[in-house]
Amino acid sequence: MKRVITASLNRNAFQFEDDAYARLEGWLADASARLQGDPDRAEILADLEQSVADKCTRRLPTGRTVITLDELVPALQEIGHVEAVESASSATAVAAGASAEHGATAGGAAPSASIALQQISQGAWISGVCLGLARSASIDATLVRVIALLLLFVTGGGLILLYGVLMLIIPFAPIDPAQPPMKALPAKCRAAIVYLRSKLSALSG
Amino acid sequence: MNNPTEIKLAPLRKGLLEFVVLKIVGVESLYVPDILRRLANTEFATQEGTLYPLLSKLRREDLVQYEWRESETGPPRKYYRLTTAGEAQLATLDDYWTRINRTLAGLGRSMEVPS
Repeated sequence: MKRVITASLNRNAFQFEDDAYARLEGWLADASARLQGDPDRAEILADLEQSVADKCTRRLPTGRTVITLDELVPALQEIGHVEAVESASSATAVAAGASAEHGATAGGAAPSASIALQQISQGAWISGVCLGLARSASIDATLVRVIALLLLFVTGGGLILLYGVLMLIIPFAPIDPAQPPMKALPAKCRAAIVYLRSKLSALSG
Repeated sequence: MNNPTEIKLAPLRKGLLEFVVLKIVGVESLYVPDILRRLANTEFATQEGTLYPLLSKLRREDLVQYEWRESETGPPRKYYRLTTAGEAQLATLDDYWTRINRTLAGLGRSMEVPS
């Protein structure tokens, strides 16, 4: 038995099995990050959502109403990677990082001495901060997580606040299609942070 | 397909995609799956992930515009067509492309020595 999640795609309700939902959420968060700085991001995302919905429903066998990975994965493959077009206005470092194809370092602004600090959603427990810190410092992720857990107790929960701040400021690494997809929680974190950042940049700009 | 020549040709096609899209919607109003089908069996085969952001940019530059049309099988669809500015730009690009081709053909010949 699998849990079913109802989601709104371009303002229409669709039902997904939870793993398909997590995959789609991650894909959309990635698309959103890639389109950061595009003035029409919301409209493009709505177009893409509509396209996902069309392709999934077209693939649903008759009599079935819940979209699974069987329908979603080929639909996303058909749509392909979201590629931002070169924009005349200077894009943010996050956009540069997201659109850099399999680049080892993010953007031209980042120092090239070491691997740029990024949140890595694929393989993350929460949002990928520890995994990103570990990769950036070239140390084992488990070690970083153990230290984080110890600090969590030492600081009496204060680390949660720090983690939240880090989530907000560290750019996300682009989704690597060759890697397993992110789990439900990292996908949720990524989507939430991308949304928060867009709200914050709308406020400041 | 990842041979060295292909790696050099890929950015060329990418750069021309905008021109190609203007050319296609210059013929008739089309919605995105139509455009993808027109490109499917050509060197410029592409996907929605690339096409939507590109069309959006062309619309911002006032080169294309879209209108919503009802569909019998689903939600309304966006049909794209060229604006007057788009037609002008396409004419310029067409002209430029012809000139480039002529130049390339000319450079390919040996220098004619006047006798």
